[in-house]
Amino acid sequence: MSESLIQVQNLVSGYDDQIVLNDISFEVIPGEILVILGTSGCGKTTLLKHLIGLIQPFSGQIKLLGQDLINSNEKELLNLMRQVGVLFQNGALLNSITVAENIAIPLEQHTNLNDRLIEDLVHLKLSLVGLSHAANSLPSELSGGMRKRAALARAIALDPKILFADEPGAGLDPVTASSLDRLLLNLRELLGMTLVVVTHELGSIKRIADRILFLHQGKAVFYGKLSDALKSDIEPVQRFFNA
Amino acid sequence: MEQIQITLPEQINHSLIKDLQKEIAPYKSKKFEGQSVWLDFSNTKQLDSAVAVFLHRLKEDFKKQNIELRWINTSEEVEKSLKLFSPLARAKFEAKRKNFFETIGELGYNLFNQFVESIFLFSNIGFWAIVSFFKPGMRRKGEIANQGVLIGVNALPIVALIAFLIGFILALQSAAQLRQFGANIYVADLIAIAMVSEMGPLITAILVAGRSGSAITAEIATMKVSEEIDALTVMGVDPIPYLIVPKLYALVITLPLLTVFANIIGILGGAIIGVTYLDISIYPFFKEVFSVLRYKEIITGLVKSLSFSIIILLTATYFGFKVKGGAEGVGRVTTASVVASIFFVIVADSILGLIFYFGEPAF
Repeated sequence: MSESLIQVQNLVSGYDDQIVLNDISFEVIPGEILVILGTSGCGKTTLLKHLIGLIQPFSGQIKLLGQDLINSNEKELLNLMRQVGVLFQNGALLNSITVAENIAIPLEQHTNLNDRLIEDLVHLKLSLVGLSHAANSLPSELSGGMRKRAALARAIALDPKILFADEPGAGLDPVTASSLDRLLLNLRELLGMTLVVVTHELGSIKRIADRILFLHQGKAVFYGKLSDALKSDIEPVQRFFNA
Repeated sequence: MEQIQITLPEQINHSLIKDLQKEIAPYKSKKFEGQSVWLDFSNTKQLDSAVAVFLHRLKEDFKKQNIELRWINTSEEVEKSLKLFSPLARAKFEAKRKNFFETIGELGYNLFNQFVESIFLFSNIGFWAIVSFFKPGMRRKGEIANQGVLIGVNALPIVALIAFLIGFILALQSAAQLRQFGANIYVADLIAIAMVSEMGPLITAILVAGRSGSAITAEIATMKVSEEIDALTVMGVDPIPYLIVPKLYALVITLPLLTVFANIIGILGGAIIGVTYLDISIYPFFKEVFSVLRYKEIITGLVKSLSFSIIILLTATYFGFKVKGGAEGVGRVTTASVVASIFFVIVADSILGLIFYFGEPAF
């Protein structure tokens, strides 16, 4: 347990009186890709929001990089968040500034590097995601897939230990979605990152998942290896993979 | 060749770059020319991308000074990071800088394109304005009345307030001068002519450009970025007669009416100063107002406000359709639209003012 990068224990959460996540427990070990999946409305994105400290649960414990996320103060949380990267569903790039300026934001805010090094790093990260040519473009001038890759370059700007990705393939055609998956796998290999990916796209799951956390009606009905999930006789899991 | 050896710590990340620079920088001087600085990585297990890029750049800088910077005892992990995060390995992207003539040429080309686009759009609007007058089914049902309320009726309070204050201030400023010559009654003449032929149309147009012109641009731009305009087009509905022409009719009807309203309120504002400050009775004041106002002033004001309404609509529509990007694009074109509308209104006001001043109308 001690070597886990993420530990979630008995997490209960929701909005107002409604329970969305009920007694969720799992862990993520270094270098692995955990895919959180389930049908729409099962609480995947809510769980991800808990893992990146955006919302507080009703009860339970979340440990990120060995640190208690729930009881951290703002400063500790900020320090912790510097060590993780998040790829939002729609990229969440700032539309009024160029791609390069977007990627420079975390570098300018969290490091004391000079402009030359920041520029070098921005172009390095862009070349890692294959977007060197789009540095001076505005996000609105990019296609959906390119926007996702630019957002990925921003998410890895500070060499995060963990990368969270919310529906990376959403809204993309199968070819682009598959190339984005390959890019995630390459980056995991190159940068030694641990990935937590929220998705419900079967193709994507089969390509990248090491382990799976299957949510159904707010409960974790399956947690284990992809190969076991494919053979599972748990009804919602079986239905999902045979759909 | 002499060697200087620096041993690096176990873990180096971006926060240690400044310290590292302090330690290494002294060796980057002429004193060490021809010598070799060795960075010993034997203790180092990990370095991040920022450090790797920094080390590569450092190596380049040392080389320029004819000093060799060598990395020794690098572990496999460190070697991998140094290789992966080499700024030299990446495909260099250099933004092509334009020279002076290219910049001027591009500017001219863009201006010409914008001119052509605007002429195309304006003639399109003009065409549909005439056609849909005879085919009301092409317009959105009830939209002229709806826009008339939005542009005209809802603007009444602000137009009244501003027109009253303008009339009031104009009268106050001129009264102080005119009373020195015993020409108090001419305040009525000044207010009547200034409001009806100049201030009324101009102030109302500026208010409507800021209030409704911006709303029209924002509405069209939002519809464009959310593909609503495309949806109308593929449904076989031309957005110009459907969306724009009702706004044009509403503006053409309401702006002159608002202007007349502003003129009346402005003259009332002036009358208050005339009665209270200059001791002119209300009857002689308005007698003077009606005697000085000829058809020329009234027609000047109405022609101006009619022209302004078309200018506001065309400018707002042009910028609305010109939007690029998402929400931030809408904000950008809305601001540009208001600035351009006010600019064109003032330019048109000057041109029409000159025409009516020098031209001898038939009336």
